[in-house]
Amino acid sequence: MFGFRLAAQRPPAARRIKDDVIMRFDHVYEVDPDLMQTYPQQDIPAWDTARIVDSRWDHLAWMHQHFADRVVSAGELGLPPDYLGDDAGVTPPT
Amino acid sequence: MSAPPISDALYDELVGILGADNVLVDKPARYNRTRVPAPFPVHRWDDHVPDVVVLPTTTDEVVEVVKLANRTRTPIVPRAAGTGLADGAVPLRHGILLDVKRMNRIRDIDMTDRTVTVQPGVNMLKLNEVLQPYGVFYPDNPASYPCSMVGGRIGTSGWSLIGARYGHTKDLVISLEVVLPTGKVIRVGGGAGGKVRKSSTALTLKELFFGHQGTLGIATEAVLELVPRPEAEFAAFFSYSDYDTAYRSCGALSKSGLATLAGVVLFDEWKLDYLRRDDEAYIEQPSDVRCVNAVALYGTDAEVVPAARRVMEIGHDTGGRYLGDEVSQGDWAARHDRYAIPLHGRLRSSGQVVPMSWHCEDAALNYSVLPQVREEWHAIADRYIEGYGIFDDWGMFAYTNGSHAPWGDYLVEIDIGIWEQKLDDENWAAWTRCKTEIAAVALKHGGSITACHGATRAGEVDLVPSELGGAFDVMKDIKRLLDPNNVMNPGKYLFDQAYE
Repeated sequence: MFGFRLAAQRPPAARRIKDDVIMRFDHVYEVDPDLMQTYPQQDIPAWDTARIVDSRWDHLAWMHQHFADRVVSAGELGLPPDYLGDDAGVTPPT
Repeated sequence: MSAPPISDALYDELVGILGADNVLVDKPARYNRTRVPAPFPVHRWDDHVPDVVVLPTTTDEVVEVVKLANRTRTPIVPRAAGTGLADGAVPLRHGILLDVKRMNRIRDIDMTDRTVTVQPGVNMLKLNEVLQPYGVFYPDNPASYPCSMVGGRIGTSGWSLIGARYGHTKDLVISLEVVLPTGKVIRVGGGAGGKVRKSSTALTLKELFFGHQGTLGIATEAVLELVPRPEAEFAAFFSYSDYDTAYRSCGALSKSGLATLAGVVLFDEWKLDYLRRDDEAYIEQPSDVRCVNAVALYGTDAEVVPAARRVMEIGHDTGGRYLGDEVSQGDWAARHDRYAIPLHGRLRSSGQVVPMSWHCEDAALNYSVLPQVREEWHAIADRYIEGYGIFDDWGMFAYTNGSHAPWGDYLVEIDIGIWEQKLDDENWAAWTRCKTEIAAVALKHGGSITACHGATRAGEVDLVPSELGGAFDVMKDIKRLLDPNNVMNPGKYLFDQAYE
């Protein structure tokens, strides 16, 4: 059993990503609060947001491992750079 | 506890068969087994609540419950995980709800003949965790993979995300034991319904028990296919600036002839608008990302690596831009579990976020008609969004549909958000009209109302006789023959007509 003070777990200030999207934590996109007047977003302590985000990555990694022994990445296929997209992230060969 | 809505005599007989712990009459047990994730007339919830829930663990118990239902003319509705997107597990006439979740035994893993024998309450994810040390895999992979069950997959004739490579549920279930609506037990499948995949003895009955939505019997055991566990997975997502290019590229990818091809999915412009609004993988994509094709491969390393090269070449040469490993691998992994996503939509009038349930109206359509159906479906959705203010268009996708033959036809879905809290008789009637119109477009273009969910839902079910013609009359004859008292999930699929 543990407790926390919500006031001590406030997320960082939001920065605007698009007209209707803000970001308080890196890589966590959130709907602009102005669009959530009818159903306001509940307060979530920062540690819980971090837990949910980390769980999401764990979940995706688990799914990959569940379905196959390994995931082939485009970067290991020996293709010309233009096949891999202009600025798309490609995992380098291991 | 409130008084059971069934007679003392029926309750006592059920307890005598199953024991008191497996006969539930409390409200939570019954109300939680009323709806499925498909849109539901929440304003008429009470119309669909079962009178009693039973949880058998053996075939013999199922037989006794079904015989009791026959003798007392009590409706009985089978239910597995209740994750279906048609209404097969939703009671229309109250009665007994037979939940198979406690029939969750893995009976036999046969590594010599490559089968696994299970009860219907086994979940595929949990099954594959058990199978992993054996180096084999049961490749039935719906979007509800972590929560759906083998029995429901049979009753709905489920569709698998990786069906182009491994087949769908009807291909992967080698044989099954079925308790018929009279309580008689039969086995269907190749020959005597054992572990033989192909037989030519007499009539083929197995497929009769796939997709009946609980109207023809209850699957109590199934012999499933085992395939070698994939050594390698490859996923590639390509973006396009217009639909026509994406459509042609989708065709080229699906006709590649690669044996490891598990699926190709085409997301249209409406889907990208939705994803750009609410999906982390797409929010910051540039504006020229208007459509996407997703491709997945599974197999041995020796197969997948060269096939992946070929996929990348086709994607590139047909106008696609690779979206990168993070999007490709992350988004593909997320597709195994679409039921975990919290759902909200936007009101067109204000842009405000409201809770919405996800409804996917599906159809089976040939490749040639995809562009035209897309335009007609979105036009229908647009009219209802404007007219009623409780719907949201979440876009369409087209997913290769054929087992081992992905090139000719597609599972096509339009995803529509519904603000269920606003449902009343008027809005529900509007929604069912919308569904009827969507299904009619599929039929007009030579397709089928549904590729994977089933066509039992209000709205589209009215068009089932139109789609099936004389075959529907034969189906009614079969229903009456197997279920002379109309106790097995009565009211579904217009089968009441069989008793008129």
